[in-house]
Amino acid sequence: MGILENKFQDNVVVASMDKLLGWARSTSPWFFQFGLACCAIEMMATAASRYDLMRIGMIPRSSPRQADVMIVAGTVTMKMSLRVKKLYEQMANPKYVIAMGSCATSGGPYWQYGYHVLKGVDLVVPVDVYVPGCPPRPEALIEGLLKLQEKIQAERPLTKKIA
Amino acid sequence: MSEDQDKYIAEVVEKALRGDMDAINNIEDRVTRSKAKAALIKAKRLSKTAAAEAAPAEETAQTDTTLTEKSLNQKVAEALAKKFSGSIDSEDVNEYIQLNGKNWFEIAQYLKDNPDLLFDSLQCITGFDFGEGEALEVRYNLHSMTHYHAIEIRIKTDRNDPKVPSVEQVWRIGDWFERETYDMYGIVFEGHHNMTRILCPEDWEGWPLRKDYETQETYHGIIVPKVKEGWE
Amino acid sequence: MGVVHGDLMTLNIGPQHPSTHGVLRLKVKTDGEIVSEVEPYIGYLHRCFEKHCENVTYDQVIPYTDRCDYIASMNNNFGYAVAVEELMKIKVPERVEYIRVIVAELNRIASHLLALGTYGLDVGAFTPFLYMFRDRERILDIFEALCGARLLYNYIWVGGVSHDFPNEFVETVYSFLDYFEPKIKEYNELLTYNKIFIERTADVGVMPPEVAISYGVSGPNLRGSGVKWDIRKNETYSIYEKFDFDIPVGSGIMGTVGDCWDRYYVRMQEMVQSAKIVRQALKTIPAGNVHQALPKKIRPPKGFIYKRTESPRGDLAYYIVSDGSPIPFRLKMRSPAFTALSVLGEISQGWMMSDVIAILGSLDIVLGEIDR
Repeated sequence: MGILENKFQDNVVVASMDKLLGWARSTSPWFFQFGLACCAIEMMATAASRYDLMRIGMIPRSSPRQADVMIVAGTVTMKMSLRVKKLYEQMANPKYVIAMGSCATSGGPYWQYGYHVLKGVDLVVPVDVYVPGCPPRPEALIEGLLKLQEKIQAERPLTKKIA
Repeated sequence: MSEDQDKYIAEVVEKALRGDMDAINNIEDRVTRSKAKAALIKAKRLSKTAAAEAAPAEETAQTDTTLTEKSLNQKVAEALAKKFSGSIDSEDVNEYIQLNGKNWFEIAQYLKDNPDLLFDSLQCITGFDFGEGEALEVRYNLHSMTHYHAIEIRIKTDRNDPKVPSVEQVWRIGDWFERETYDMYGIVFEGHHNMTRILCPEDWEGWPLRKDYETQETYHGIIVPKVKEGWE
Repeated sequence: MGVVHGDLMTLNIGPQHPSTHGVLRLKVKTDGEIVSEVEPYIGYLHRCFEKHCENVTYDQVIPYTDRCDYIASMNNNFGYAVAVEELMKIKVPERVEYIRVIVAELNRIASHLLALGTYGLDVGAFTPFLYMFRDRERILDIFEALCGARLLYNYIWVGGVSHDFPNEFVETVYSFLDYFEPKIKEYNELLTYNKIFIERTADVGVMPPEVAISYGVSGPNLRGSGVKWDIRKNETYSIYEKFDFDIPVGSGIMGTVGDCWDRYYVRMQEMVQSAKIVRQALKTIPAGNVHQALPKKIRPPKGFIYKRTESPRGDLAYYIVSDGSPIPFRLKMRSPAFTALSVLGEISQGWMMSDVIAILGSLDIVLGEIDR
């Protein structure tokens, strides 16, 4: 404010390019439906009529090329982990990952004797937001998505970074 | 005279036990007739106690419904012993029938096609490990949709070279159940058209459900074992 | 003119797919659009359930059974509790039996709603999916009031249940049933008698009864082929013999006996029958203490048991071997969806690609149960 106050007409917006890009990218993240196990049912319930996911801009896409966010919902097994990596690499930048549920976070209830369970999906892909719960309530998933939106907004892709 | 009399009494008592009371009733001599009747009563009492002694030994831990199952298991065991001699391993057939794997495919077809048995539904194949260093076993639960009876069959096999004939051509679900048992225990089913792992990846090492299974360290570069660094 | 011949094309319907109900891989060999062979590959969700059961105590197994068939977890718990109670010869109080039947049947309704909603989604109908989920949320509200969880309950324990009914629970369930029964008519108008749905599912994927029995198929899939077999009536357990309900069987109204429409319609009718059972149970439920028969330490005697119960997917069975210690020696879960998936290769030969998806949806599989 200060110098710029009361100087412009309507329909003129002043903001930094970073903030504009952050606003555009964060408010319509299309998610890649990667439902694996029980958490997939809660993800479907979140996208259904009561806890509507489309009101915060998320639409389910089945192809990794069209998606921004990959919600890993459910247990990742060794057999599946190679495919998770492949699909993550097929997504176009900028891409984000939400690890939903305690199985995707750290192996979940199968951490102790599960020889075939991957102890957390962050062993194969970089994760941005962890949503705990077994399974997390739809409200918890929405909170995780809102946190992701805050994170995307706080990114500054255009600013020259030192080193 | 008394020896002949004893033999005569024994003869008529035999006839009466089989249901023919006329032989005793037609004896003219009153003394002999009463001796014969007394001998008959004694013989009946003895046979009843013999049956009562035999019965509790067999009905140890069974409920009412297994009374017919006991005869079912006995029936099946007798039929198998007659048709495929040498295939039954153990005499005790109260709860399950222990076979030794010889002719198992033919036995399975017989169990399915015989009109009294008609076990047309294979419910479950379970692998079983008795412990480290001991034998492995395969257990089959069969059920009949027409006669409503069920039976369990067990086949033991050696731990170092486990082989059991496959029954996938008899009950089509045997295909996947046998692949699962192979995946978990390493038991090879001879005659199966595609003996590969079904649950674990193709290049997994080891037989997971055996009691002496050690998880491998890494799989394609990803860490497998149970505890991550810095936990607890 | 000459006929064009070509080789069979191998197509991969990969583990990540919106219509495969989980992580399932199908290798399909097609000649143009006509499918000649379908081979399912499973194991992408193998979570070592049986290995866990050999290392934890009997009551710690119950949350793991929840997660096997995560859509109908009350029925999974029920089957396990009934099996262990028969092994230990425990008799549970009357009230516990009634509560178990009520929650199991409510969960059956919820599971069928999800199955039919996603089936509609597979063949292209989006609205029934939203309607059925809306009604399913009401059942999940009931369960949340009862035991605190929406999806994985850990409610039916060996010897009893974990919580008794809260206040005004019976009125809530009655009001749900009054709300739900007219909805069946709505679903029938939307989907069941919809011309497009009938053309996509009638006469498609016919499963003859002999094939079904040989492949071990059970539950609504088997009843859709005309075989009247229900464990609740044929090998009855708990107190199901006290209730009066029918067993709907497919009869080929719209096409052939055993086609996809029949399996769909059997599930729709089963929801009506489950509502009937819940009404009867609520009317006659006795009072009592639900924690009375909970054992202090679960140590079954040496022995084994194979116990079957009816889950919404079919014939769920537990094979438990006990060696007298508090930890099971061997626990095998025989899941109905495992056998249902194995018949896919047999009944989808000769159909087109999109019919394969319709057939797969009608089998109602849950990968958590198949892979355990």
